[in-house]
Amino acid sequence: MKPKRRWLGLLLLAGALAFGAPEAQAHPHVWITARSEVIYAPDGSVSGVRHAWTFDDMFSTYALQGIEARTKGAWSREELAELAKTNVESLKEFGFFTFARADGSKEKFLEPVDYYLEYKDSLLTLNFTLPLKTPVKARSLVLDVFDRAFFIDFKFADQEPVRLVGAPADCRMTFQRPNDGTAGAQKLGEQNFLGGEGANYGAMFANKITVDCP
Amino acid sequence: MRRYRFVRNLAIGVATCFAWLAIDGALEILMAQTPFGGPRPAAAAPEIGGLFGWLLARQSEFYREISATIRAAKSDGSAVWTLLAIAFAYGIFHAAGPGHGKAVISSYLIANRETARRGIVLSFASALLQSLVAVLIVGIGAGLLNATARTMCGAEKAIEIASYALIAAFGARLVWSKGGGFMRALQARPAPAMAVAHHHDHDHDHGHDHRHGDDHVHDEHCGHAHGPTPDQLAGPGGWQRGLGAIVAVGLRPCSGAILVLVFALAQGLFWAGIAATFAMGLGTAITVAAIAVIAVSAKSLAQRLSGASDGGGTLILRGIEFGAAGLVLLFGLGLLFGYLAAERVTCL
Repeated sequence: MKPKRRWLGLLLLAGALAFGAPEAQAHPHVWITARSEVIYAPDGSVSGVRHAWTFDDMFSTYALQGIEARTKGAWSREELAELAKTNVESLKEFGFFTFARADGSKEKFLEPVDYYLEYKDSLLTLNFTLPLKTPVKARSLVLDVFDRAFFIDFKFADQEPVRLVGAPADCRMTFQRPNDGTAGAQKLGEQNFLGGEGANYGAMFANKITVDCP
Repeated sequence: MRRYRFVRNLAIGVATCFAWLAIDGALEILMAQTPFGGPRPAAAAPEIGGLFGWLLARQSEFYREISATIRAAKSDGSAVWTLLAIAFAYGIFHAAGPGHGKAVISSYLIANRETARRGIVLSFASALLQSLVAVLIVGIGAGLLNATARTMCGAEKAIEIASYALIAAFGARLVWSKGGGFMRALQARPAPAMAVAHHHDHDHDHGHDHRHGDDHVHDEHCGHAHGPTPDQLAGPGGWQRGLGAIVAVGLRPCSGAILVLVFALAQGLFWAGIAATFAMGLGTAITVAAIAVIAVSAKSLAQRLSGASDGGGTLILRGIEFGAAGLVLLFGLGLLFGYLAAERVTCL
């Protein structure tokens, strides 16, 4: 009858309830097959990242809804120019799903340049270059590509997922794919649905590009 | 005696956890084979670090099969049946993983002392509404107006925010009314008269759950004269009460359904997309209803075990109800202000 005991019981029940109910984790609705290039300036500093993101066929069709093509079912680059602009503008809100750290400090990107959409085999590919705000010479560059809300599932291409363009000869690149949530699943269970990091749980689906230049 | 009660409460909590795990486990075994014949190739199954990762993988598989099946249905009509089966399975998995619907409905049922039966009705009604909204957005937006994806996504986003605001408002109302009941239970604890009154109340609720299942669902709180109960404060009984939950949960369409509908429309098979959307809704409803029933059963178990003899049991129950009401509010606010970023549609 002690209130303390009662509260403990109540807490347990609430815990049981919370365990079952509020899983606020998302699930992907868009799949992107990505290829990326890390671009170096002649002086050996990293100047930006170039992405080619191919959307899955469902999303490609969805994105093309309402967009006219002269030849039915064959959109030209020009006909897709406006959509490409919308895409890169929308991506800004999400930090272009690309997060860079040079020797541990976060780097910012400028607005995308050289962007266009390509339609091939009923799939859309968005090409764009993200220039670094300030090109950096980094001993260790880390690039994460992922959607923290996991609305989009980023999978890098099987062949040549990442290339270094113009990198100094002694730079070494390693590419690490996400573990499909297997290793992170336990960590995930601990994340409270209101915990700030809850919104960042997509991090475990991150594709990690690391370039070490001694 | 004291010790016994503590053990009992502990047992309830543990039992609820186990009930949940058992269902997880059963699902896992059930779905170890594809619903379309043949065991899953071992290679396709990821190392399961948790139910979540596994659910996610299954869900993605089903979803990605949908587009291929719609394409196939263009030349082979029988593929539509496969499409419906996949969409149905996707719906089940979709709701078993993430989603605010089941959380809001379960919390609402607990807060408002609703029956399992009503929980099932609410789950199906909200899933049906959700499917309808998706069909309307795409039917009007893409079908009639030939709007772009961007425009439709904008509409989806607006509806989403309205839906989250509704959940928050709905939760606030529940908290307001449940807070009263909780405070009263806190104050009334030493008074034996109140305890007796509540005892009667519990019996009635319980009896209704299991014995008078065929009665009108909205009759459950009528005919009580123990002073204002939290339910009476919550507003009039009947459908108006449930309608709030149905609209708050069902208004927001599933992004997946919208993608499927637009894809089907582009393939000239809009009707197949509509059928798939409702199959998805049916799957979602089944999962949400199952979870709602578990939630209600767990509570009625707690009610039976803890509420029998004294006012303390009432306090626990009112506390649970208040907590559940608080959860609905927190969910609404969390969704609205983007803490649950995972449940925001992404417009590209």
